[in-house]
Amino acid sequence: MTTAKGKAKSTPISHTFFGAPPAPGDEVLERYSRPVRILHWVNAITWIVLFITGLFFFVPQFGGAASGGVSGLLHRIAAVIMVGWVVIYFLGSPKAALRGIGEAFKWGIDDIKWLQAAPSYYFFGDEKSMPPQEHMNTGQKLWWLTVLGAGGLMIVTGALMWFFKDIISADAFLWSAFFHDVGFIALLSFAFLHVYLSAFHPKMRGIFWSMWRGTVSARYAESHHKKWYDKVKKGS
Amino acid sequence: MADKAILYDATKCTACRGCQVACKQWNDLHGVKTTNRGTYENPPDLSWDTWIKMEFREVGNNGDLRWLFTRRSCMHCTEAACVEVCPTKALYHHELGFVAYDKEKCSGCGYCVEACPFDVPRSGSGAITGIRTMNKCTLCQDRVTNDLTPACVKTCPTGALQYGDREALLLEGKARVASLGGNATLYGEEELGGLHVLYVLDDSPDVYGLPLDPKVPATSTVWQDVLQPIGWGVAGLAALGLGFNYVIAKRKIKIESEGK
Repeated sequence: MTTAKGKAKSTPISHTFFGAPPAPGDEVLERYSRPVRILHWVNAITWIVLFITGLFFFVPQFGGAASGGVSGLLHRIAAVIMVGWVVIYFLGSPKAALRGIGEAFKWGIDDIKWLQAAPSYYFFGDEKSMPPQEHMNTGQKLWWLTVLGAGGLMIVTGALMWFFKDIISADAFLWSAFFHDVGFIALLSFAFLHVYLSAFHPKMRGIFWSMWRGTVSARYAESHHKKWYDKVKKGS
Repeated sequence: MADKAILYDATKCTACRGCQVACKQWNDLHGVKTTNRGTYENPPDLSWDTWIKMEFREVGNNGDLRWLFTRRSCMHCTEAACVEVCPTKALYHHELGFVAYDKEKCSGCGYCVEACPFDVPRSGSGAITGIRTMNKCTLCQDRVTNDLTPACVKTCPTGALQYGDREALLLEGKARVASLGGNATLYGEEELGGLHVLYVLDDSPDVYGLPLDPKVPATSTVWQDVLQPIGWGVAGLAALGLGFNYVIAKRKIKIESEGK
């Protein structure tokens, strides 16, 4: 324990918290472009604002925090920034955006194998039966599908309750609120998983930095995204 | 404390609308400019500034035209959908039985506006900010908690409106219905656990535009009774599963790196 403590002193606290990024000499591959990274962090920050202000409405015990409507206003501002930034990103790089969305829908036999092998990998570090993966692995595709599906649900139901409140029937409004809550539960639980697997899982330490710097070590790319790694290597 | 209530006797009402004026005066609500729509009924609807409104109905019955009046305002339900859905607990049951609210707490979400089976609460302006605070009849909380009758009751010249203990008014309403005979009914005794505005009507409630079987919308109970526990369950399981994974994976990974 004492050696671990001594080591932590010489490394930045962010490395201790999120794991160490690739060392300066390591070979790295570009994984996330700058627009994608900005999109990710705008999303992350607005998501947290939406999550907290939404929680005030969802949990009766926290309801007092929504008094006066300030949290509701923040919720709307964050929603506009989040959706607005997605639109800006899409208009800025439509091809990359469509390619990115498309990744979630490309499924093959290796995705089935991945799902079968994942538990023993994520619990016991057993890498042998993990099939080679594309730029996005099966788990990331599932997360991506959740974000697209539940995110779309949130936008539609949220817009109904905000802009069309006076037009839609009372039942349509109440069901919108209901499905907004359903989307909230889905996103919340998958977001736990996303944050854990991309920053804190023992096998994934340091991967957090790929969304910060845009690069991953070649070693990681080869072991986790073999098909993508091969394509990049062939291209370069 | 014993529940209080208002008893409205439609057969004694002349639709003078004095109650509408008294309500606006006491509660300092603005008058609304309206246009003549060919009826004495005015303003056209309840609003943020109009908490009580008399409705006029012309009901034909075998060539015998009847002009029926109804009082439209908050019913102060015992099983109140608005209280159920209010996220900030701005709406609550007062110890005297009526549905009170704390304006400071209202977030303007508008859930109560949509959930109310009588379509009573009204949102204010602010569609863009979303802060559309709600307004509705308070049963003159500031008056009744100081031993005064509500403004509408106080001003009623014909005795069509009374205020008092709910039990006593129920007895009085039943006696009145019995003496009226025919189709006369008392509305509000059992509806939604008992309303705190009771109606003596000369006909079936639906003739007066009142719902025969008002209900709390299913969605408003599903939210708290079903979705809440599911939300906690799913989030809890996710957190627990990840913690479990961390403990196991951490040990395994350590062993691996030691072996290297």
